[in-house]
Amino acid sequence: MQTIPVKLGLIVAAMSLSLTACLPFEKQDAKVSINKNPFPSTYKTLPQQNTLFTNATVLTGTGQRFDNADVLMVDGKITQVGVGIVAKDVLTINAQGKWLTPGIIDVHSHLGVYPSPSVESHADGNEMTAPNTAEVWAEHSVWPQDPGFQAARAGGITSLQILPGSANLFGGRGVTLRNVPSETMQGMKFTDAPYGLKMACGENPKRIYGSRKQQPSTRMGNVAGYRAAWAAATEYKRAWDKYNSDYAAGKNSQPPTRDLELDTLMGVLDGEILVHNHCYKAEEMTVMIDLGKEFNYNSGTFHHGIEAYKIADKLAKNANCVAMWPDWWGFKMEAYDMVEENVAIVDAVKNSCAIVHSDSDITIQRLNQEAAKVMYRANENGFALKPEDAIKWITFNAAKSLGINDKTGSLSAGKNADVVLWNGNPFSVYAQAEQVFIDGAKVYDRHDERYQAKSDFLLGQE
Amino acid sequence: MKFKQLTKLAQLTKVAPFNKVTLTIILSLTCLTHAVQAKTIAITNATVYTVASQGILSQATVIIENDIITAINPEQVNADETIDANGRILTPGLIGSMNALGLVEVAAVAKTLDGGDKKADITFDASLAFNPKSTLIAYSRKGGITSNIIAPSGGEDLFAGQTFAANLSGDFSSIIAKQNAVLVYLGAKSKGSRAQRLQALDHSFADLQKKLDKKASKEAKQAAKQAANKDDQPAKELKRDEKVIKALLSGEKPLLAYADRATDLLALLALKQKYSLDLVLVSASDAVLIADEIAAADVPVIMSAIDNLPSSFDSLHGDLSNMSVLVNAGVKVILAPKGDSHNLNQLRFDAGIAVANGLAKTEALSALTANVADVFKLNSGRIAVGKNADLVLWSADPFELSTKVDVMWISGKQVSTQSRQDALRNRYMAQNDMPKAYSK
Repeated sequence: MQTIPVKLGLIVAAMSLSLTACLPFEKQDAKVSINKNPFPSTYKTLPQQNTLFTNATVLTGTGQRFDNADVLMVDGKITQVGVGIVAKDVLTINAQGKWLTPGIIDVHSHLGVYPSPSVESHADGNEMTAPNTAEVWAEHSVWPQDPGFQAARAGGITSLQILPGSANLFGGRGVTLRNVPSETMQGMKFTDAPYGLKMACGENPKRIYGSRKQQPSTRMGNVAGYRAAWAAATEYKRAWDKYNSDYAAGKNSQPPTRDLELDTLMGVLDGEILVHNHCYKAEEMTVMIDLGKEFNYNSGTFHHGIEAYKIADKLAKNANCVAMWPDWWGFKMEAYDMVEENVAIVDAVKNSCAIVHSDSDITIQRLNQEAAKVMYRANENGFALKPEDAIKWITFNAAKSLGINDKTGSLSAGKNADVVLWNGNPFSVYAQAEQVFIDGAKVYDRHDERYQAKSDFLLGQE
Repeated sequence: MKFKQLTKLAQLTKVAPFNKVTLTIILSLTCLTHAVQAKTIAITNATVYTVASQGILSQATVIIENDIITAINPEQVNADETIDANGRILTPGLIGSMNALGLVEVAAVAKTLDGGDKKADITFDASLAFNPKSTLIAYSRKGGITSNIIAPSGGEDLFAGQTFAANLSGDFSSIIAKQNAVLVYLGAKSKGSRAQRLQALDHSFADLQKKLDKKASKEAKQAAKQAANKDDQPAKELKRDEKVIKALLSGEKPLLAYADRATDLLALLALKQKYSLDLVLVSASDAVLIADEIAAADVPVIMSAIDNLPSSFDSLHGDLSNMSVLVNAGVKVILAPKGDSHNLNQLRFDAGIAVANGLAKTEALSALTANVADVFKLNSGRIAVGKNADLVLWSADPFELSTKVDVMWISGKQVSTQSRQDALRNRYMAQNDMPKAYSK
């Protein structure tokens, strides 16, 4: 029984092949293709100086710690990490008593889209007009003059993902930025970083749209909304795949009608856009994992996973990253079951990807302290975490979640020289970033005003 | 024993400046009568941050009898229970302020919110809604917080209501002082002008002052008439709201005014001058611009240590060093994070951030203890004889992220720092073949 359809299929395929071959040469219209990078990065490295840091306590971001170690940056890359490095024609910074870490990465920020001052004219972070706004891109809302970028840089933030808000099932695309001052979003855009797709579970979508008497007004309405969208995206992708293969086969077929919403969802199905899903609760994250399997995409990174500790095994097994706060809770029912060891419990499972994120223009300035709180509270309750473990949550794992861990997130040869020099152990409340480097260029210096950028907005305010 | 306590209490009453403190002492006396026998606790070998005239004491002993600190470094120690601090730091319990602890369980669940009401006015007393069993309270104890000033969020009226003080024991008898300050929110408005509220505030004082003057002269006339045996109608009694304004005018109750822009802060300083108010500025983002004026007017400032962004046109001068700048100018500051009550236990870390940005550690500790006690007239916030035994023994530096509360006492009673969060963690870290719901 089962062989018949296969045979039939072969016959049909053979017929269509022979038909094509028999037709006179078909004149093809110009190939229609989707420009996947219409707002390309214009980011340029700031003036670089090849630099050797000596005698530092080095946390690599990948679980290692080196004491009294040296780190060499040349032409914007880390070239060596070790002891007794000798280099010619470089600036040497004696980092005795200081600590070096990779540049800090926040996977969840609304800087630029919900900037300071928080005025209506600048509240551009959430297109709350329909439950599915996969067609909007956060980058088109970024105000590069948000003074929050400078404050975050003083806290060691070198890269960050700007996401749309969480009112919608599909909130739109997120963008990863380098934290450099620029007049334009493109001037900050992280070259070749994949886009993110913001999705949201739970209370927000059902509250926002339910209160308008439209779907979704329940969690089951949420899931029906995702499924309908992914079903449409699957059809859309099939249509484009068919058009592309037909065109390749010489046919002059009609391209599908462009749909910006479905472009983004298709990007996920193609593995080019990474899912970033605001999702707090154990049962909902588990449904989202199955949803990804149903439509053949990876369910990506769960953000604000307050209850991730309840399903840590499942999350690691499915290769999900989870971005968490150390202790925010209680603002909604879905944030009620917070435990201070959440990040540590998720992290303890093999192949896990635990991240500490901010979602705040205040705590983004101290993600090191946010990670520290997790480490110390967990160690009071049976864990034995060290600084070299905790730093991963705000560097390498964050880079992995954003699909940029081949470029940044760790201090190892070949990586971008995104580096923070701390005045001491970064997991102390008294720790401050002294100098911050992006691609080997100094972008912040606590003791040198020339490296303290100021937003246009704050200029001349008395 | 009882006699000794009474003598001590009598002494305290003598120095206690305000009725609220006296009330507290009477309450604690009532508690004493229930105790079978007085219990004495000695905390020995501690590094004691007294936040009082004695400064920092090394290898010191603090004696608690029932709910009161009765001795520091006594010649003889004769205690029912001795705790060797082993050099660890002992501080007064930290005091939170300007939050909704006990008036909120889940911020987005309306039925768990009791901090505000459309009809709330100057008489609004949210302490009637205080829930000492809220899970936020046990969690807040992890931060070494032993008592707290709870602020209502108000309603449509100019005045948001009155604050109250409660301890974090979780007991039904947690409330220390009701209606201990009046709250008003000023500054930028989405509709209308900020001037209207400032003017209305001025008018409420002026109107009552006029009425009080009139009443006083009428009463004087009556007294004269009565002396001459003539009958007359007595002067009308003040209304409830007028009594509160009177308490503000007499300086009996502090006026807590939320405002940020320097012009609003200056307008408030002028009102203080005009009506001799016991003014306290809250939030006060621009305070650094007029630090000397605020110091000269002897007005305390309740502020966040970490709000450094220009979040509005009223607060363009935020900086992590602001608290330090104000203290150096001679302003008494209280540290209180803005907004949410759920993470009140972060208070000590905010203090650490202020220290990293220039504030002296002892000043930072005062901003969480003695300064709050002074402004709200609490008999706590210092380690001194006669003070309420709200104490925290820390594993190390109280402000450091790696430090935890080792032991804490509220009114002399040791309290737990375990919370619902610990129960959840324990459940999910326990090994059990059965579903987690069976691990309790």
